[in-house]
Amino acid sequence: MEDTPVKIVVYHCRNLRLFKDGEQKIFCRQWPGLTMVSIPCSGKIEAHHLLKTMAGGAQGVLVLACSEKACQYLEGSSRSRKRVDYARLWLEKVGISAERLDFVRIPPMDRVALENLLREFLSKIQSLEALPAIAKA
Amino acid sequence: MIVATLKEIDEIRKMIDRYDSVLVVGCDSCVAECAAGGARETMLLASALKLSYLKDHMNPTITEAVIDRQCVDDFIDQIADQVPEHDAILSLGCGAGVQALARVYSDKAIIPALNTLFIGETQSRGVWQENCLGCGSCKLGYFGAVCPVARCSKKLMNGPCGGSKGGRCEVNPEIPCGWDLIIRRLNALGELDRLTEYVPPVDWSTSHSGGPRKVVREDQQP
Ligand code: SF4
Ligand code: SF4
Repeated sequence: MEDTPVKIVVYHCRNLRLFKDGEQKIFCRQWPGLTMVSIPCSGKIEAHHLLKTMAGGAQGVLVLACSEKACQYLEGSSRSRKRVDYARLWLEKVGISAERLDFVRIPPMDRVALENLLREFLSKIQSLEALPAIAKA
Repeated sequence: MIVATLKEIDEIRKMIDRYDSVLVVGCDSCVAECAAGGARETMLLASALKLSYLKDHMNPTITEAVIDRQCVDDFIDQIADQVPEHDAILSLGCGAGVQALARVYSDKAIIPALNTLFIGETQSRGVWQENCLGCGSCKLGYFGAVCPVARCSKKLMNGPCGGSKGGRCEVNPEIPCGWDLIIRRLNALGELDRLTEYVPPVDWSTSHSGGPRKVVREDQQP
């Protein structure tokens, strides 16, 4: 039981170009419990996606975006930040730590920054009491 | 459109905690436009409820459904096969939608998830403005298409009152003075002369004050 990996979902903007073709799968194998989801723009993510991901069993969710100036869709990165904040508000409303949800802007193609961030986030989530699992779908 | 906001989750929980299974039903029309009760908010609320119950070690069945209009039977019928499997319906429709569901699914508890506020417009992204009270006798033609009933805090027909200051309403400086808007608009249209005519007090009998209203059109009936 103790070895059950902590389920973390990371939504990352495709324009961060964190992985070349096929690399994402290999990367995730090194991080048990991690699911990386590439999205066309971080602005595509909305609060309902994030809460659904949490309700689906994720113990933590990260949204990785480009810097505001680098956003190819101009407003995507700033919109995304507001939406993550809104989802965090909802987590607080239901009495779950908002720390389980985070929005981070990282430099493009920076795999080292990604790994450091994952390590930090994972240890933060592990320090929180685990959310009970859903028995019924 | 009808503008509404989502209720706080604690209030919703108080109303639905007694049920083992709840069908959360969104309405993808007015309340979707005002980001209160459409497909997105239905997913958001259903997920938030699941998380909230999870935290309390409770596990009711929460199912999502969305229909285009909760105030029209043809659409309401679309969830007919899901309704019997649940103890209650949590509706993200406006008050009219909630009551229409209750009429159609008469043996089911129907709980509102929204506070229905007003008839209004999307003024800019994320901003909804009340601008019609459904008085039943529209006079916008005399007032440059700015409603004195809805936009003037005192519903004055021959305004402004003495409290209008710098285009703001004396009731609350956050509110633009409806009469300031009327005068500016008529002035821009070159139709200020419309205001020289005295407008008699509103006949409220055509409004909700005359009791619940109904429109019946035989030509539209089967
Ligand atoms: S005059 Fe009456 S019907 Fe017309 S916009 Fe105002 S409240 Fe609505
Ligand atoms: S200040 Fe303007 S909007 Fe407010 S009550 Fe007076 S006339 Fe109406």
